[in-house]
Amino acid sequence: MNALEALDLRRAFGGNQAVDGLSLRVPAGELYGLVGPDGAGKTTTLRMLAGLLEPDGGEVLVNGRPFGTDAGPARAVLGYMPQQYSLYGDLSVDENLTFFGRLFGLSRAERTERMDRLLHITRLTRFRDRRAEALSGGMYKTLALACALLHQPEVLLLDEPSNGVDPVSRRELWDLLHDFVAGGMAVLLCTPYMDEASLCHRVGLLHHGRLLAEGAPADLVARFRHPTLRLFVDDRDAAESDLAADDAILAVSPEGAALRVVVRRDAQDPLARFGGRVEPVAADFEDVFLGLVRDPTSVAAEG
Amino acid sequence: MRVEILSVAEKEVRQTLRDPRSLVVLVVAPLLQLIVLGFAVNLDVEHVETVVADADRTAASRAFVRGLLAGDTFAHVGDVTDPEDAIDRLAVGEASVAVVVPRGFARALDSGRTARVQVISDGSDAQRTTVAQNALGAYGALFAAQRVRALGPLPRGYPEVRPRVLYNPTLNSRVYFVPGVAATLILVVTLIVTAMGLAREKEAGTLEQILVTPLSPSALVAGKTLPYAVIGLFDLGLVVVFGALLFDVPIRGSLLLLFTAGALYLLTTLGLGLLLATVARTQQQAFMGAFFVILPMVLLSGFMSPIANMPEALQPWTLLDPVRHFVEVLRGVLLKGAGWRDLAPQLIALAGMGLSIFVLSARALSRKLA
Repeated sequence: MNALEALDLRRAFGGNQAVDGLSLRVPAGELYGLVGPDGAGKTTTLRMLAGLLEPDGGEVLVNGRPFGTDAGPARAVLGYMPQQYSLYGDLSVDENLTFFGRLFGLSRAERTERMDRLLHITRLTRFRDRRAEALSGGMYKTLALACALLHQPEVLLLDEPSNGVDPVSRRELWDLLHDFVAGGMAVLLCTPYMDEASLCHRVGLLHHGRLLAEGAPADLVARFRHPTLRLFVDDRDAAESDLAADDAILAVSPEGAALRVVVRRDAQDPLARFGGRVEPVAADFEDVFLGLVRDPTSVAAEG
Repeated sequence: MRVEILSVAEKEVRQTLRDPRSLVVLVVAPLLQLIVLGFAVNLDVEHVETVVADADRTAASRAFVRGLLAGDTFAHVGDVTDPEDAIDRLAVGEASVAVVVPRGFARALDSGRTARVQVISDGSDAQRTTVAQNALGAYGALFAAQRVRALGPLPRGYPEVRPRVLYNPTLNSRVYFVPGVAATLILVVTLIVTAMGLAREKEAGTLEQILVTPLSPSALVAGKTLPYAVIGLFDLGLVVVFGALLFDVPIRGSLLLLFTAGALYLLTTLGLGLLLATVARTQQQAFMGAFFVILPMVLLSGFMSPIANMPEALQPWTLLDPVRHFVEVLRGVLLKGAGWRDLAPQLIALAGMGLSIFVLSARALSRKLA
């Protein structure tokens, strides 16, 4: 059974279809990344998965249970960390943890034991009495994570967890997540950073509320069917605007003094007209995403 | 369930205690306002500035003027010889009433003709002028009666009206107003605090974090309002005590009845605050919304102007105003010593409105935040 399952989720705001028929499954012990640019529908999806937003259509199952009229059982196994501030700034680290622990119905003994452990692994023990608003961005995020983990959820949802966190704390956060996943937790997070995708077991590429492709990050890159090239020309900017208008070019972006170009695989050498040196490079995750946005068949079928 | 309500309530208290400003708003401000409003809101008409133009200058005219000025109602602020000057005094606001006794006043009295006295008043303060004119009319009748009595026994069948005032014999308007002020203060404090408190959780994103826990919406609502209900009852006690000490407002009825009604009243004010907060997205919107609700509630309550004076089409609607019912309870219990049976309709109305508003707001909250 999948720990988290979304079936054909749909949600519109006004005339804008934010999420458009999205299905995904996350088994226990998997770290799933929902990757997409701002406005792709990541937060809307996550809030529906967390039971905070009613979908227009489709269903969410947490450990096989829908939210429905009695959301209690689903909520009891679900942890959620929103992207924006979500703790009481005027309460201390301890007080925030105690409050949320009590809302999850933890006994005093359970609370004390888990708080001590979580504060230890998030290295917040020294700051127990500090008000949440006085914590740094990274510490605040780890406290928010600790609050979401107090009741030992089986499913954890994280909305852009590394947003506003310095690189060191970011790595620590990812290490923590990998530990939890290794312990059997199902984690779904969303991120706009393509480089974070490679840290997930499986990713879903989200664009305009639809999944463009899904799979293990390395696998998606390997299955990418279009060549990625580096083009050296004298007038880089002119060439870039020229290529941006070219139908045979799926993506173009400056890379140092050169241009990084994803070329449609059946195009007839569209870079020849510039006369510059061209060298092939290995596609990365961003190339895959950009290619998929223009051509949904960019990634070859599995097998 | 009970543990969770207490957790939310405890957190609320912790946050309130940590922020001294909110304590000031909750306890000190109502008391100060009661005192200021209690002293300021005074509709007793006294010391109406009166200018006298006595053109007759006789013993009779002087006696008439002296008698008129003897009580507290009129205060002599000056004499003029020309009635035109009296009008000038009215225009600049030095006087509100001018009493003009024309030449021939005494002669007319002596010869048994009607002696006329002209009274000119400043109508811009309608309330004051009405009361002053009534007092002048009454004085005229009294003056006439004295003259009649001086002539011999009263004719048979002469009617005599003797007013007797119950509950507030001195017609002290503060005794009437302080209960209204109390109801208004509790409304303002509790409604604004709950509306802003929930809106703050929305703004801060903490509501989302609460809503993903198994906490039920009704437990959230109960926990968030419980501390303010206690503070509201405390404020009620404060107002009753200070009303008695400072403004001689009596406490004739049962305090248990008063506080029971207070608790039911708080259900409506706290519920309305929550309802506002489910609509508002920010604290600022909640604050503006609160004023939008409070003003008509106070105006329709009959606290300032009697409901019987309102347009007839509007009068039934005031039954939907919890402030009206609570002001009636306060006046009933404090001034008249009314009991449970006398105030049953008001108690039932408050309970009905309170419960429905509370259920409504819990429902509105449980619908997911869009």
